Amino acid sequence: MPYHLERAKTDLTPYVLIDEEKGYMKLEGESYHENVFEFFQEIRSWLSTYLKTDFDSFTFDCELKYFNSSTVKILLGMLLEMDAADNSGNITVNWITTRNNMIIIECGEDFEEDLENLTFNLIAN
Amino acid sequence: MFDMMEYHKTLRDHKVTLVYTGPLWAEGIGGVATTLKKRLEYDNLPLETSQEVFSVFVEQMNNMLMYSKESELFTAPDDLHSAAPKGTFILGTLGKAYYIHTGNIMKNDSAELIKNRIDHLNTLDKKELRKFFKEQTRLEDDNPDSKGAGLGFIEIARRISSKIEYDFKPYEDGYTFFTMYVTIGGGAE
Repeated sequence: MPYHLERAKTDLTPYVLIDEEKGYMKLEGESYHENVFEFFQEIRSWLSTYLKTDFDSFTFDCELKYFNSSTVKILLGMLLEMDAADNSGNITVNWITTRNNMIIIECGEDFEEDLENLTFNLIAN
Repeated sequence: MFDMMEYHKTLRDHKVTLVYTGPLWAEGIGGVATTLKKRLEYDNLPLETSQEVFSVFVEQMNNMLMYSKESELFTAPDDLHSAAPKGTFILGTLGKAYYIHTGNIMKNDSAELIKNRIDHLNTLDKKELRKFFKEQTRLEDDNPDSKGAGLGFIEIARRISSKIEYDFKPYEDGYTFFTMYVTIGGGAE
């Protein structure tokens, strides 16, 4: 059975959707739980396994409005892992935000500098 | 008895708009965060300023949660007893700028570490802080005790319009009372 996860957003944690069958992951909302590592544990462990498979295409839409510094470390960890995957050329990351959200834009720019293989689109509407 | 009128006057004189004191735990911080967001919406600020205030709030609450050793036993809604760290957070206005003032008790060795970190951050400009933050997020450091290797303080330094002012006062044996004061926005950058 392909993995499927959908978590509603809370004040402190984002909406999460993982649809393995479609090769799709989405984060939306805000992330500033003090124990953000625990929140992302299951997601990260699925991602690590998935990235080792022979997938055709994988899209990650990251549409977070705000996240804390611990979340930055987790997002970066996930992106670097995607970039290092054998199939990294089949991965698209859409970093979606608004034009006035400088915190998110700067963070996306800093991430982009370190990503060599996957397609990273910084979309500021 | 606690002099509520004096307290009220003190808050008014210092243009305090939000005070939180007591146990700190993740879900509790969420509740204060919601109140703070409403407050910032009411002030009708540019997104950048409200995000800066919010970001400093989140990072400093997490810092206090991490380093505050003044735990107290409290009863959670589900009747589970748990020890939570304590701290005090104040948001106020200073002309067009905001200030955030916090206080908590910590171990002397944590105080030493934090003082060194802040002294270093205070020497860096915004561009250098962005670079330093980037370097620190890329460290292979999964030690849960370091919880992000001081990323919270770097993030605070990036978002404020002042330097990080601080005070460390001796508390009881082995403990220090840490006060942090920063200002945000107000076109002082």
